[in-house]
Amino acid sequence: MINKSLCIFMVLVIITMISGCGGKQRYEAQYLDVFDTYTQIIAYTNSQKEFEEYSEYIHDELLEYHKLFDIYNDYEGINNIKTINDNAGIQPVKVDSKIIDLLKFSKEEYVITNENVNIAMGSVLKIWHDYRTKGTEDPDNAQLPDFNELENASMHMDIDKIIIDTEDNTVFIEDSEMSIDVGAIAKGYAVEQISSDVKAKGLENALISVGGNVFAIGGKGDSNESWNVGVQNPDENSDESNVCITAIKDVSLVTSGDYQRYYTVDGVKYHHIINQQTLMPSDYFSSVTIICTDSAEADALSTAVFNMPFEEGEEFINSLENAEALWVFKNGEVKYSADFEKYIKQ
Amino acid sequence: MKFVKKTDIIIIILLFVVALVSYFSYKFIFSDVPAVAQIYYEAKLVRTVDLSKNEDYTFRLAENEDVLIHVFVDGSIAFEESDCHDKICINSGKLDTVGQSAACLPNKIVIKIVATTYSDDKPDLIV
Repeated sequence: MINKSLCIFMVLVIITMISGCGGKQRYEAQYLDVFDTYTQIIAYTNSQKEFEEYSEYIHDELLEYHKLFDIYNDYEGINNIKTINDNAGIQPVKVDSKIIDLLKFSKEEYVITNENVNIAMGSVLKIWHDYRTKGTEDPDNAQLPDFNELENASMHMDIDKIIIDTEDNTVFIEDSEMSIDVGAIAKGYAVEQISSDVKAKGLENALISVGGNVFAIGGKGDSNESWNVGVQNPDENSDESNVCITAIKDVSLVTSGDYQRYYTVDGVKYHHIINQQTLMPSDYFSSVTIICTDSAEADALSTAVFNMPFEEGEEFINSLENAEALWVFKNGEVKYSADFEKYIKQ
Repeated sequence: MKFVKKTDIIIIILLFVVALVSYFSYKFIFSDVPAVAQIYYEAKLVRTVDLSKNEDYTFRLAENEDVLIHVFVDGSIAFEESDCHDKICINSGKLDTVGQSAACLPNKIVIKIVATTYSDDKPDLIV
């Protein structure tokens, strides 16, 4: 009798071991409706229900940030960045403190990055956006923006004309021809805020990617190993899908590249990251990847460094304590900042 | 008193059988297919494509026929045609590595390469 029970017990133990019971499980979710991009969440939690609570929370937060930082659409009952733009030269607009914080942060980054990421470039970016949209829809008649048009718009990108009143929570653009475009910073900023919120709620092991703005919360499940995030090879004809696979934990990784958002005019590709000086797409690199403890900063830095010649960018990144960079040149050559190697998977 | 009891032998045999069965079922379920492509429409998994068949073909989803997807002999998959305005899906090129994904936002379709067996070594994400 005892032996029989023992036998059954042993079998149960084995079955439990095989099914891998106990410990955290890996779950994934994805969304297509925020920040005009593809969002992925991978996390290790104790149950599916727990995972869904966290992923829905993250999704709800992303939707809120998306509405606030939107420059194309109005939402009922919300003053967003489009509202601020629509009231340029007219009147200050009362906004959520999240917008105030984002704009203040963006102004700081403008100074830190030696003016290489400028949220006041909206009028120039809009021209490129419109030509790119038309050129993609009708490739045979794709055209480059008229340079005079770009130059006229570039007269209206003085970031100091964005007046932030932190007491009244209002924002006013003094120049009626100017507009704000937070495309280079907003996603990273939202990911940073939401990651710290969800961490405070108890999520310990997650990888969040909002259109390539990645934040790694802790490591992978019970083993707590680093997350492996590959940096896409911009050369799609190459056999190698990645230029490098990173191993990251509690940091953010953001890539700016020329290989997804672009259009073609007379056989030449024109991508979406526009250099403030030339008013044309920056053409130093195919992509720049930043790893940084802060996701908002990583986002701003990836655009800024993409806009700088290599030597300038290298010196700049090496002067920052919490950021590393990886450059992929147009000929496929790859360069790293001083301590990037510690993030490369062995 | 015998050194080995009959029930002991039964337990040993049982362990052996369970081990054998689980080993082969594991091998069978997670056969040597390196990767599959999962295709999502509106965040729901609607199709899984085996990329190891060395076949070349195209198809459209019944849920949304505005997008043509191409599976290549070399085990890669790509958005080939789409009526969307930005063509970011097509620009994403061929996908063949675990962790890669591409999306057509206007058409609400995502292609994602996943491993048939999870391993700590494979990339969690490629961006």
